[in-house]
Amino acid sequence: MKETAIPAIDTSEKFEVQLRKGSLELAILAVLWDRRLYGLEILRELESKSDLIVVEGTVYPLLNRLRALSLVESEWVESDSGHPRKYYRLTAAGRQRALEMTRIWTRFSSRMNHLLAHLDEETELISAMEARKGAV
Amino acid sequence: MILSAESQKTIDSYLAALRKQLRPLRPDDANDIVEEIHAHIVDKIGGDNSSGVTTDGDVGSTLAALGTPEELAARYRTDELLKRAQSTRSPFVSLFSLARWATLSLIGMIAFILSMAGYTVGTLLLIAGMLKLIYPNNGGIWFDPKPGSPPVNLLHILRGGMVDGSAGFSFGSGNNWTHPGHEVFRHGLAPFSLALGVLLIFLTFRLGTWCIRKFWRPSALRQA
Repeated sequence: MKETAIPAIDTSEKFEVQLRKGSLELAILAVLWDRRLYGLEILRELESKSDLIVVEGTVYPLLNRLRALSLVESEWVESDSGHPRKYYRLTAAGRQRALEMTRIWTRFSSRMNHLLAHLDEETELISAMEARKGAV
Repeated sequence: MILSAESQKTIDSYLAALRKQLRPLRPDDANDIVEEIHAHIVDKIGGDNSSGVTTDGDVGSTLAALGTPEELAARYRTDELLKRAQSTRSPFVSLFSLARWATLSLIGMIAFILSMAGYTVGTLLLIAGMLKLIYPNNGGIWFDPKPGSPPVNLLHILRGGMVDGSAGFSFGSGNNWTHPGHEVFRHGLAPFSLALGVLLIFLTFRLGTWCIRKFWRPSALRQA
């Protein structure tokens, strides 16, 4: 039977996109865990503390959605910059959801890390060999 | 932060376009969104500029990162529409939302097709039941079995003539008509047809709402 080759880059990109999709909601709930933040601060936090590449135009509709689900609440606050900012904070339901998602994430990633441990060693070995080849 | 007249004009027209695109939403919600996006633009431009002078390029890149007003509004609109569909009691709102969802995902498309089928059959049962009550002799549903054809394709809902023997749902009118097969709902069963139609529409509505609650993910998550 003839096999169809799937381009490796496409598959890797899709995999990464799927991973990010699934983790954005948790990431937002996590950055709001102990403080209130406005939209741009949330974006900055996500950029600096996670590997997520967040498109700005997607975060605001998601925050709106999380608010509709009563996972976050918002309030307009006057700022020194001369215009009000909309701050978000977690609700009790949002905290509950964040904890549930974290539990699932931790269990899943721990098992996956265990499963992938030997592949990780292989990857390091291949990288080292390629580096040596390059040096030669 | 100093904005040039050109930059200010670009921002204003972006926000005006966004507001226009958000018209299907409640005015308070639309205002809230536009104000938040406005604050974001001002903060982003101010934060990225240590010199204090804003160029048209800064404004352009900030707006580009948000997407066009149409794209940005579409994310809010879809979310709002499907959010409303979760709590609506109107089959029309539900079906309209499913139609929108169908353009975005396979699950949405399956839910929409199932809903269309449910609403169609339910409506036809209602029509057949009503016709039976008004025209007891020549209104109703008949099976018209033809050799080699599945009976489900041979339903006829008719009032009067024009039966060409073809398969499928049929409507007709006229006086000189004899039904082509055996009748499904006889005289006494018209209320049953009506009740079944209402039940099917209700169950289809509940199925659509359940699908949205169970499977729909916000657009921001899909596009991240």
